[in-house]
Amino acid sequence: MAIEIRNVEKTFGAFTALGGVSLDVRSGELLALLGPSGSGKTTLLRIIAGLDHADAGEVSFDGQDTRDRAARDRKVGFVFQHYALFRHMTVFDNVAFGLRVKKKAERPAEMDIRRRVDQLLTMVQLSHLATRYPSQLSGGQRQRVALARALAIEPKVLLLDEPFGALDAKVRKDLRKWLRHLHDDMHITSIFVTHDQEEALELADRVVVMNHGQIIQVGTPAEVYDHPADSFVFDFLGGVNRLNGVIEAGVARLDGKAVRVDGAVGADGPAVIYVRPHQVELGVAPAEGVPEGKWSARVSSLHAAGPVARLELDLAGRALEAQLSRDRLSDLALEVGSWCTVDFRHARVFPAKS
Amino acid sequence: MPADPHSRRPAVGEGPLTRLALIGLAILFLAAFLALPLVAVFSQALAKGVGAFLKSLTDPDALSAIRLTLTVAAIAVPLNLVFGVAASWAIAKFNFRGKSLLLALIDLPFSVSPVISGLVYVLLFGLHGSFGPWLRDHGVQIIFAVPGVVMATVFVTFPFVARELIPLMQEQGVEDEEAAIVLGASGWQTFRLVTLPNIRWGLLYGVLLCNARAMGEFGAVSVVSGHIRGKTNTMPLHVEILYNEYNFVAAFAVASLLALLALVTLAAKAALEWRFADQIAAAKR
Repeated sequence: MAIEIRNVEKTFGAFTALGGVSLDVRSGELLALLGPSGSGKTTLLRIIAGLDHADAGEVSFDGQDTRDRAARDRKVGFVFQHYALFRHMTVFDNVAFGLRVKKKAERPAEMDIRRRVDQLLTMVQLSHLATRYPSQLSGGQRQRVALARALAIEPKVLLLDEPFGALDAKVRKDLRKWLRHLHDDMHITSIFVTHDQEEALELADRVVVMNHGQIIQVGTPAEVYDHPADSFVFDFLGGVNRLNGVIEAGVARLDGKAVRVDGAVGADGPAVIYVRPHQVELGVAPAEGVPEGKWSARVSSLHAAGPVARLELDLAGRALEAQLSRDRLSDLALEVGSWCTVDFRHARVFPAKS
Repeated sequence: MPADPHSRRPAVGEGPLTRLALIGLAILFLAAFLALPLVAVFSQALAKGVGAFLKSLTDPDALSAIRLTLTVAAIAVPLNLVFGVAASWAIAKFNFRGKSLLLALIDLPFSVSPVISGLVYVLLFGLHGSFGPWLRDHGVQIIFAVPGVVMATVFVTFPFVARELIPLMQEQGVEDEEAAIVLGASGWQTFRLVTLPNIRWGLLYGVLLCNARAMGEFGAVSVVSGHIRGKTNTMPLHVEILYNEYNFVAAFAVASLLALLALVTLAAKAALEWRFADQIAAAKR
């Protein structure tokens, strides 16, 4: 099912949660709403579900306005951040809930309910825990029960609020992969809210970056990562060096030397140069001087656990983070205190905010 | 000197002497102020033997008082069960104007002296009260009759259920209800299948406390009842009358029955807690 969101506004007292948001969710895609807390992403999700009401604007499902459809009639699967499992019901009864509360005419026979729930529990790999209570389950298991419960009513759209927020790192990674596979099998339009950029980039077909109740950028993970719309997106997608420089006659300069940048340069004046750590190119420092167009830096610390080495450099008083492969590191024979040359493979420049 | 590895005294805790002194003090206090009076009630009631005890309980006036007390509790407790659940539901799950006013009103019966509560009803429904003449013309008697006793009891016991439920429901939030609604449940289904099971233990405690107070209330009931023997006397009022007549055995016999009802209530609460310890723990998680 496709969802069209048009100029949706929502305020809570003096706080603007959504300031006129428009978005098209394509049928069958897995969409991430990514943003810091207070950016309005959860509010948008709740408005789609019908749990909150927009002050203005409209949300339509396959072209049909949803204004007069109460949450219970929307056939939306919602997975809550803290799962909201019914604590006095077993896993089985939790999953069966949505089927048992249907109106008599639509309610499947108890035998069909049983079959359907068994099927769902098999799918989420929890058949052996059907008679347990939620308090007897681990976080990851609760999450999967919540998912099975939401899927039981065969929703047209699946909404997940910070689905992995309360889980530890290992479980989170596994569940993420598992959810991706599940989505590939079922092709149900899904929207999940997250503040974790890694999660959004890894899992989603498209990412919607939000801030202060506005959508800043919509695109595939590669698009938003490689071509961030502004400095906020660049910053929020993580791991970035910000270097204070200037723009002079349309050229970005750092310590007087020109920096090759992608995209528009902008008006002259103070500017911030954004470089991702893996876009920092290090070289062996020559015996004397600095090569044309490069900078010189000293290694201030070095972390070489795992396949990627992380270096912190001192570039004329600025801290600069760089990432390179362990092989490259050993080629360069760098250690704490040694000097090297610095160049930037890709950089972006944005005017400095006054 | 290095610490003895075998002593294993917990980080938070006192030496055995302090502990003994604290426990002893608590037990002494309980014995003097709670256990001793209770023992006195029963021993006084049985001072002249079981025969006299039973005779005072089967006296027609005593039987009438017992019947009235049970009737009043049977009306007041269900009423406050419904009011209490409705009020706490409204306060915990919705935001509306005048919410804090409602909260303050719920506490009113706790903060006002029961005698005042009784007097308010006399001023409203008594012969010289605001609605008195109208009620008299229509042949309805509230003050110095059973309806007055019921109303005063409902008023005084109003906060018990609501006060027990409001913090519980506020802590539980609305996520479970939202989950039920998104899954297609109606309002009534959500209440019956999700909200009610979540609050059942708090509700039970509230009802037990409410019941204990409904049977034991003296002040407000005393003002509105008129102390008509065999008609508007509840058990606590009957105890006072008998006591004032120096009929100690009878007074303590009825009092012991009241105390017994309280003890049974407490025992029922403890038994339920013990029987359903797992579920209570799960509900709090």
